[in-house]
Amino acid sequence: MPIPTGAELALPAQQVEELIRTIVKGLRAFQMYLPNNPIYQRAEQAIHDAFLPIWSSTQQLTLSVVESDLVWSEQVVYRQPNRSESFAWMLYKDGMRLLTLKPGVEGEEVVRFLQVVSRARMLQADAADDLLTLLWEQNFQHIEYQFTEIITDSLTVLDPQMADLAMSQDASAQEQVREQVREDVVERAAGGVDPEDFDSTLYFLEEQETRSLKGQVDEEYTRDARKASLEALLDTFELQPTSLVREEILGIFDALFPNLLNKGEFRTVARLLREFRTVAQRVTVLDPPLLEHLQSFQARLSEPAILSQLLQSLEESAAMPEDEDIGEVLGELHAEGLETMLTFLPSLKRPAIRQILEVSVDRLGAANTEVVLDILGRTNSDALPGAVGLCRRLTLQVAVPALDKLVGHREAEVRQGAVEALAAIGSPGALTAIERALDDPERGVRLAAVTAVASKEYRGALRRLEAVVQGKGRHELERAEKRQFFETYAVVAGPPALPLLSDILEPRGLFRRRESSETRTCAAYAIARLRTPEARSILERIQQDKDLPVRNAAARALRDWVE
Amino acid sequence: MMEDRDLSRLSTGDEGYIRHAGRGFLLTFYAALRALKLYPVENTAVQKALDELQGTATALLVTENELEMRLAGDFLFINGTRLRLELDNFAAFSNLLTTLRGFEIGIFRTHSGVERREWQALLSILLSISADATIEDRYVALIERLGQAHTPHLEFEPETEVAEAINAQESREIAKRTYAQGVAVTKEVVNSIRMGRTSSVKKVKRAVQMIVDQVLTNETSIVGLTTLRDYDEYTFTHSVNVCIFSVALGRKIGLTKLQLYDLGMTALLHDIGKAKIPIEVLNKTSGLAEEEWRVIQAHPWRGAMTLFGLRAYDEIPYKSILVAHEHHMKSDLTGYPRSIRPRSLGIFSRIVAVADGFDAATTRRAYQTIPIEPDQVLREMWTNPRRGYDPIVVKALINLIGVYPIGTCVILDTFEVGIVSQANPDREFLNRPVVRIAIDPTGGILSPPGLAVDLTERSADGNYVRSIVKVTNPDRYNLTVGDYFL
Repeated sequence: MPIPTGAELALPAQQVEELIRTIVKGLRAFQMYLPNNPIYQRAEQAIHDAFLPIWSSTQQLTLSVVESDLVWSEQVVYRQPNRSESFAWMLYKDGMRLLTLKPGVEGEEVVRFLQVVSRARMLQADAADDLLTLLWEQNFQHIEYQFTEIITDSLTVLDPQMADLAMSQDASAQEQVREQVREDVVERAAGGVDPEDFDSTLYFLEEQETRSLKGQVDEEYTRDARKASLEALLDTFELQPTSLVREEILGIFDALFPNLLNKGEFRTVARLLREFRTVAQRVTVLDPPLLEHLQSFQARLSEPAILSQLLQSLEESAAMPEDEDIGEVLGELHAEGLETMLTFLPSLKRPAIRQILEVSVDRLGAANTEVVLDILGRTNSDALPGAVGLCRRLTLQVAVPALDKLVGHREAEVRQGAVEALAAIGSPGALTAIERALDDPERGVRLAAVTAVASKEYRGALRRLEAVVQGKGRHELERAEKRQFFETYAVVAGPPALPLLSDILEPRGLFRRRESSETRTCAAYAIARLRTPEARSILERIQQDKDLPVRNAAARALRDWVE
Repeated sequence: MMEDRDLSRLSTGDEGYIRHAGRGFLLTFYAALRALKLYPVENTAVQKALDELQGTATALLVTENELEMRLAGDFLFINGTRLRLELDNFAAFSNLLTTLRGFEIGIFRTHSGVERREWQALLSILLSISADATIEDRYVALIERLGQAHTPHLEFEPETEVAEAINAQESREIAKRTYAQGVAVTKEVVNSIRMGRTSSVKKVKRAVQMIVDQVLTNETSIVGLTTLRDYDEYTFTHSVNVCIFSVALGRKIGLTKLQLYDLGMTALLHDIGKAKIPIEVLNKTSGLAEEEWRVIQAHPWRGAMTLFGLRAYDEIPYKSILVAHEHHMKSDLTGYPRSIRPRSLGIFSRIVAVADGFDAATTRRAYQTIPIEPDQVLREMWTNPRRGYDPIVVKALINLIGVYPIGTCVILDTFEVGIVSQANPDREFLNRPVVRIAIDPTGGILSPPGLAVDLTERSADGNYVRSIVKVTNPDRYNLTVGDYFL
């Protein structure tokens, strides 16, 4: 039995006002918090509870949407004159005029409704959706709404035209029609369906046919519609000889490219670039400007402005695109893009992207060494760190002279990179270039140099090493670095280094200055690198030294001693 | 069942006055009801409200000689005119509707000479019965108490099939509005493209959503409107018709509401490429030269290009692009445009192709002054594989619209001429549709919408009352088919 209408009249307006207030608060909570947040959940519960007293009095709540107000039973139950904050205005501006809520809405539907309202609020005026198109997709069971017609002024008037004809028919016209019908009945149309012969079962869809159709609907949604559409466009380009049409199609691709890149559709971009090459070869008659335009896509992708956007979006995108996809599009780049890629490479934080980019950079660099040299020659280029890294990975022999110059670059990062690259190259020229880095003011650079010297046992650096060991180096070295220099000296000099090192470790003579504990420790480790019987005996003797760090160093060195 | 012609009055008469006066009556009735609920009867507010109610009722009776309120679904009619829901009356509207529904009142008549005390009695009785939860049959209780209160000028009838007839009328009105919106939106999009302007995608979406809603709630009404064959606005009505057929077909196949919307969008925009065809070629009455035919055949790929370029789209409408490009390709890809890269037609393209083919063949156009009869079109689509239509989709179309599609003009064995208005929902009787009689056995023409008859109806001896003898051309009888669906 329906609720008595008198009870509706008994629903106090304050309760409706309270409900609306709760809903508006809830809307804010849903905008700001995620569903697992307690504030979100409390808002949800509050809305649910606010509906209960309403449903005990009425079976539906109909609100009139009047600009910035909501009106119920001729009473304003919500008012917010500031349209930018008005919940009612959010509904009104897209055409909603009546909103009816029914029992059951307080479940998940009201939350979903508010989320849609929130989304619609953010849409631009020329967006493809508005509140009403978005609400329609939700298929609400407990919410109804009415809205203004979207087009009212130019509606076609659909009125019957025959009314006059019927009224104006006279007796003779009627008789004429009667006769005509009887004549027509006599002759049946050839091939007409005789109802007696008709077998309606022919037109029933069999179960397998229905299943087949349903399967095809599923396929429609898994089909790569984008790929098929782009292929349609490419087919049209090839088949329509008119330049205007082809130009228009290229214009469409011009607009599409940034769109695709922005969405991370790299595989599609790579596929399109390959198709363009195919089309350029296959279409025998193509105006030169069109051919140039077609071929320009690949070059444009390599332009600094576009490529840097691509790389930036790769770094910043929330979802990681497939390695293969990124690799595909980067594989299509020209040498012009090399400098941009090298600029980005050192700063990339995501290891996966870095790795993929390195592969592309290395490929391009190996094929275009002149571009690499050009970059190396420009001391102000942001791509220098990346370029020296490239030289290291590719061990670019041809880059040695340029890298030599970079050993003296003002940026420590570049100097260090250059040293590492030279070390990897390892040619005599490269090692010569590394020498002066042993005196570099930057620790990292010195370490890179001394590591390189040690690994190659480069005797050309002996004098500098000796100077450091003798304490005549230019810079104050901290312990770990000093040790490395001492050990490198031992490695490079070999057994002839023993006298100098033992002299540091065990100074003889009355007036001979005793070296610091740190220096003596370094000397002990260096001596250990010599691996001679004399070196061993010195270390055994030093185990009795008064200086504890020295004794420990000797003991450790002997422990690690391997013949 | 009420004759359809009696309902025609619903759409004529001085509707403006009736709406205005009816609204006044509604508001005073509601106000009096509220006043009596809140205050004792002798209160001046109540007395004043009763005076106003008497005043509005009397004014209407003096002008119209009758005052009849009808309830049909969610609609209220005063003397056959539907009262529109407006800002200043919606509460009263909603309340009165609920009240009448709660008492299962279908019609409420007030006769001339009604007295003020009768209103007071009526309102008091309504309130007292409403407040009494023990009363099971409120309508019966109302009539009894009104009888006891001696209210001879107030008459009630329960809800009956009258409401169904009015609902059918309302359904047609909604269908007409939906159809008109679709045509207007399509026209706007096409004209915008011709003039190089951006168009409102929102409006297109709304129009398609309305069509989907209509197909889901009352398919017959809107499919019936596809028989409107507008010679001058063919491009636009055709797109809407194809959209309606496609969505109805999709529903037959079992697509969800959102899938129907997707399909509807592709269908409405399938011929968008014609916006790039010179109008003089599109509307040419004589035969097309080879070059002109090539221009027409360009509309699929032009449509695809146009949709790529529609800047109003946030997302590129790839499905619509495909259907625009593919809908003339034929299932075996021997149609147009040609395809170089491998391709297979999606189901949306095949559905739209069938809907497009059917509507095009059955419409009179500049270059096809005699449309082919719908049943012949279906037969051709079904039996001739060279036409390239998916046979299962054609079968689904026949299943949807029957062997005698809506709009087919048929001669019956009673020497009546009718227009098929609805396929028989019983699959056993696809050959016995519902028909609107347009010409009676004496040759008299019946005004639209004619007289609806069901061909499965049998006489006392068990034989069918009417059967189709043949299909005929409506032009032979100067019948405008679309009028029977308005």
